[in-house]
Amino acid sequence: MRRPRRIVSLVVGLVQCGFGGLASVLSYFIYSSSSLREALAIAPEEVYLYMFISSVFGVLSIVSGVMLLVQENGRRQG
Amino acid sequence: MGTSKLKRELGLLHATMLGIGGAICAGVFVTLGYAATLAGTALIVAMVLCGIINLFTMLSYAELGAALPSAGGEYTYAKASFGGFLSFATGWFEWISNMFYAAFSAVGFAYLLSYVIPTINIPLVAVSAIIVFTLVNIKGVKETGMTQTSLVLILLILLSIFVAYGFLTSQATGVLDLKAPGGAFGVLRASAFVFVVYLGGEAIAVAQAEIKNPGKTIPRAILLTCFSLMLVYTAISIVIFRIVTVESLASQSSPLAYVAEQFMGPVGVGMVTIAGIIAALTSVNTSTMAHSRVAYALARDGYFPKRMFNVHARFSTPTIAVIAGSVFTAAFAATGIVNFVTYATDFGFIIGFVFVNLSLIKLRRDKPNLARPFKVPFFPLTPILGIATSLLLIFFLEPGTLVLGLELFIFGLVVYYVRMVGNCGICSAVGGMNFAISGFSALMAVLLVTDSLPITLSHDMLWLLFTIAVVISAVYSVAGILDVTKKVQEE
Repeated sequence: MRRPRRIVSLVVGLVQCGFGGLASVLSYFIYSSSSLREALAIAPEEVYLYMFISSVFGVLSIVSGVMLLVQENGRRQG
Repeated sequence: MGTSKLKRELGLLHATMLGIGGAICAGVFVTLGYAATLAGTALIVAMVLCGIINLFTMLSYAELGAALPSAGGEYTYAKASFGGFLSFATGWFEWISNMFYAAFSAVGFAYLLSYVIPTINIPLVAVSAIIVFTLVNIKGVKETGMTQTSLVLILLILLSIFVAYGFLTSQATGVLDLKAPGGAFGVLRASAFVFVVYLGGEAIAVAQAEIKNPGKTIPRAILLTCFSLMLVYTAISIVIFRIVTVESLASQSSPLAYVAEQFMGPVGVGMVTIAGIIAALTSVNTSTMAHSRVAYALARDGYFPKRMFNVHARFSTPTIAVIAGSVFTAAFAATGIVNFVTYATDFGFIIGFVFVNLSLIKLRRDKPNLARPFKVPFFPLTPILGIATSLLLIFFLEPGTLVLGLELFIFGLVVYYVRMVGNCGICSAVGGMNFAISGFSALMAVLLVTDSLPITLSHDMLWLLFTIAVVISAVYSVAGILDVTKKVQEE
């Protein structure tokens, strides 16, 4: 049971870190790319709101992903 | 790395120079122009008023420093009085504020040096200054004190020459009658604006674990610092308005250099520039010492990693704490972020002032038998005035400062929560967060596929977002299950 759990934790941790990184990059591009804003139908007055949401989501995802990775790494060493 | 203790190697001179050098920064060389537009020649009164406001709180520092001479300054006082999150918040703000102040001073040094050597790389020079003073602070508290004393003495000599020449010169076109175009409110606004030039004297409190004979030396050093600063700043203000008019001063980005040029020519400008450079360096030195000692104290009590409590066996300095804080300081200075977060330093220091005065009142009530080599006169009026005037200053800060201060407070709250709750608590919290994100993503997926959102998306974009929302919902729900079941797994 431990091995499948460990594999799932590592995969989910990596995916979350990936999502977090992408969200952080997305936050930057929401600010800098007008074509992206147009594609996502983001009004000019909503730009900072979406940037904030994207940044917060990115940070939380990375924190959660790192926690999963560190915990599984710590358990394997223990 | 051993577990040695900090050594008491700073005498009255070194301690006083820490206070004066910590306070006299590049700010005094640039803030007076705008302050003069607010208060006119009554800026002289504003300077004295700031000094008196500062004295109310410094008297509290003097009593508490003499009674509780452990590392950490205002954090230690708040811990003895309140404990818990309030003391952590005090230490947190002091740590952050001193790092920002060190970065701000290092960048200020680099900018002033660029007037002399225009081709320098400002972030690189700022980081280099931080590295130099990190090494000085690692080497030993005696070396830190001697460096500070040397620099501050040179600075005071240069400022004395400026003041003496300013009083004696016949090239005076200013008018010294006290007039405040904005009335009393203008004087108050000017006081709030220039109060920053008095901040830094409390560096003596942070270094109190390394001051000899603390019961006598700390109160004397603090009071000497207060009165010296009042004398220096008031004299500079008088000279300024003796030499130039308020109107000519208002448009100057470097008011002191402009004034020196009027009666001392290019030599005066050079002298003031060098004084500004030295003032910035003394602030870097003091702030580096301050943030490391606060981190040391926070680590002592378990709020920061234990390694920051280690004292070097040979140097008797908290080397890890010095280096850790200096890394952040260098990052702030290199990225230029210091320009907008500097406002937070004022907020952090003022919060520290409020808590020091509150700590004094609480300790007098809770521990009346505590040995107090120095006692604040006119208690409780003095600390109450210190609290009132500090809170009054907050109202004159820029709104952005308050927002940034609130954000730092929330960040500190998170740090405190993470340190204080067990690993299981953190896992549960993160698991809950993952479930919330999963639920929100699922809701977004439903709204997208039912076309219920008030936005117009292309067909491809809609299905792309739907797919992403479904994947996020699935992944984060699994992450949440993994987090909350971690405790069950360990059992």
